[in-house]
Amino acid sequence: MIKRLLKVAFAEWKLIYTDPAAVLLLVVAGLIYAFYYPVPYIYQTVSKVPVAVVDLDNTAMSRDLTRMASAAQQIEVKSIYTDMKEAEAAMARDEIYGFMVIPENMEKDIRGKHQVTVNIFTHGAYVMFHGAIGTAFSTCALTVGATNKVKQIALSKKVPSAKAIAMRDPIPISIQTLYNSTGGYANYVVPSVLVVILQQSLIIGICVLGGSRAHRRFRKKMRDSPVENETAEYRYFGRSLAFFVHYCSFILFYHCIVYNIFDFPRRGELLPMVVFSIVFLSSVINFGMVISQIFLRRETSMQLFLYMSIPVLFLANFSWPAYLMPQWMTAISYILPSTFAVPAWLSIEQMGADIYDVAPKLYQLAVQAIIYLILGLLLTHVRDKAKINAGDM
Amino acid sequence: MVLNGLLKTVQKIYLNHNIVLLMILVVLPIGVSLFTMGMFSSQIVQHVPIGIVKQDNSRLADRLESKLRSSPVLNIKTICSDMGECEHAVVRGEIQAFLVFPNDMERRALRLEAPVIPVYSSGQNYLTNMFATKEIRSVLAAAGSEMFTAQMEDPVKVQIHSVGNLKSNYQGFLVLGLVTAIFHLAAMIVGAYVASFPLRDHRVKEMIGYAGGSRLTLWVASVFPMNIVLWLESLGCYAYCHRLLAPLSFEEFVMTAAAQLFMIAACSGAGIVFVGVFGLMRMATGAAGIIGSPAFAFAGQTFPVMAMPFAVRCFAFILPLTHVLMIQSTMMLGDVDMNPAWHSMEILIAMAIFWNILGAFLMSMRWKQHVRLETKREETAKLEAQA
Repeated sequence: MIKRLLKVAFAEWKLIYTDPAAVLLLVVAGLIYAFYYPVPYIYQTVSKVPVAVVDLDNTAMSRDLTRMASAAQQIEVKSIYTDMKEAEAAMARDEIYGFMVIPENMEKDIRGKHQVTVNIFTHGAYVMFHGAIGTAFSTCALTVGATNKVKQIALSKKVPSAKAIAMRDPIPISIQTLYNSTGGYANYVVPSVLVVILQQSLIIGICVLGGSRAHRRFRKKMRDSPVENETAEYRYFGRSLAFFVHYCSFILFYHCIVYNIFDFPRRGELLPMVVFSIVFLSSVINFGMVISQIFLRRETSMQLFLYMSIPVLFLANFSWPAYLMPQWMTAISYILPSTFAVPAWLSIEQMGADIYDVAPKLYQLAVQAIIYLILGLLLTHVRDKAKINAGDM
Repeated sequence: MVLNGLLKTVQKIYLNHNIVLLMILVVLPIGVSLFTMGMFSSQIVQHVPIGIVKQDNSRLADRLESKLRSSPVLNIKTICSDMGECEHAVVRGEIQAFLVFPNDMERRALRLEAPVIPVYSSGQNYLTNMFATKEIRSVLAAAGSEMFTAQMEDPVKVQIHSVGNLKSNYQGFLVLGLVTAIFHLAAMIVGAYVASFPLRDHRVKEMIGYAGGSRLTLWVASVFPMNIVLWLESLGCYAYCHRLLAPLSFEEFVMTAAAQLFMIAACSGAGIVFVGVFGLMRMATGAAGIIGSPAFAFAGQTFPVMAMPFAVRCFAFILPLTHVLMIQSTMMLGDVDMNPAWHSMEILIAMAIFWNILGAFLMSMRWKQHVRLETKREETAKLEAQA
């Protein structure tokens, strides 16, 4: 029995490395994407974003505020204008991505105990710039405000400055970022994308190779080989075994090499990683086996799943929370293994979760795997019996 | 004669009940775009689940908790008995952040010892982490300032405006770009499909026959309808998505529409070039997918191009998507200065011309080669039949 299974698996593995389309999807895509995707984010954070200051006050305090902004790590003050229109034009020319407007009479109003508003304008198309510029400028402006408030408290309540500082902010907060202490963008985005890449390339690859169906048309010469004429169960499990072993090596490659090269956090323990690999790959392979029975042409799955890559990524619940999506979309996302696999992988590999922490997600993946296994076997039997003249699978 | 051949070829390619073509040309681009828009329908981040470790059970702690509860951005999902419990909840993905009200917080605050409230947030949830910590900071700072200096206003107030996206909604930040990226990929896939299916089905001779023997007519009949259909779809989806932002002026609309047209022409041309190079639909589609699928990551809308390594910046430059997004983002700023958009437009036009000329040349060669192969095939079949 095992010999027959291995024979099928070996034949499928051979096919993976001899069919050019399979090589492109199941070997090259997995390797290229592992390096191609993290490279844009290699510097991890955005720093020295070109910005400007519109100084309508032109006093010692406004110049202090400008100097403070110049010293901020996230931004680089490229110009100081006296007219807002100049800053708007510079932003339209892409010379700057945001600017701060220091209002007229700022110093006078602050000294006169009137509140002033400092306006910060960021480019509406770039989310990262919005965050970086907004944080840098507002920290500087609020620091100027805080310094003056402390002085006002000290003078009005007649207390020493240390007490005035405590009175201004009696319960200060300290923010600690867990599992991504540098706040790196690559640490956040790439590990999740790698799981989606594994899923998409494996599903398309299985579909391109015709899943478990008998007499694949594109293997005309092999039609009489005993391997192609095995019973449906042997074909199903044998070919699944080939994909499983092949993709286990990819998970190992990502964990040991890609994570090391790009210095991503690697806290995964052996047991949860092994269990994750088994249930994730089982779920994806069985899903691929089901989908592969639907198409008549080898390329159709590619065309469909390439379109789906963007929604699949966002349905994986790592960049946009699932509770903010309409419920019917969340329901659709339960069809995809990545919906449970991405959070499980992040918990295991990035956060060092133990098997109990990720058990609920692994159960869901296992349930998916079982449902798709039953469907896959059923559809393979149906497909084997059907006579279809069109298509190449 | 030429027009007749052109119309007949268009009919044979596009109106021949080809379900796959219908799916990839019409159903999937529109469907996936609308689906993506729907995902961000809540527009802003709200109800971020957080936890609290209440080591201090004072009135101040209760007041802070109720203030956090009243924030629409936050959702206090759990009150943990210790830090370990909250940390495990973060690992399990149940909460995104937690804060600790330390022992004797109220007493120490009243004695002006400024007890620090630690806030732990998950760095694996970049977006929600950013919103949650910002909100926690502002809620606690407001609560703190009420304790001793309630009568005293903060001297400086800060207002952050996102130009062209006043509500900072994520349909504006992300979805406009995503929709364009979907059509960027769609044009490559459809280009590869339309150019390669006659090769795959051995119908090159038949198609050239419909085109009156002219390869130029066949090329025009293959390329123009898909570009026009995809362009109209992309305009429709873009306009639908843009309805939440400030309306575009006529000039801005023309500029955006032209940019999308040249992007689609360049991308479909690139898809055709892949067919010309590989000669196989699955290889051409695979290449289109490998280049087109992650294009959005390189185009600079999520992570700025200026912060990428030089080699990646060069790659981003050759992607039409980067230039379209630049034009779209310039249009968001209103009628300030259109000159930078013209520069991107020139690049897009050059790309569209380059990919289409190269595509036409390579396909012409492929068609010639396939006509020869098909003739040989027919002759062999005839001989076999005679034998």
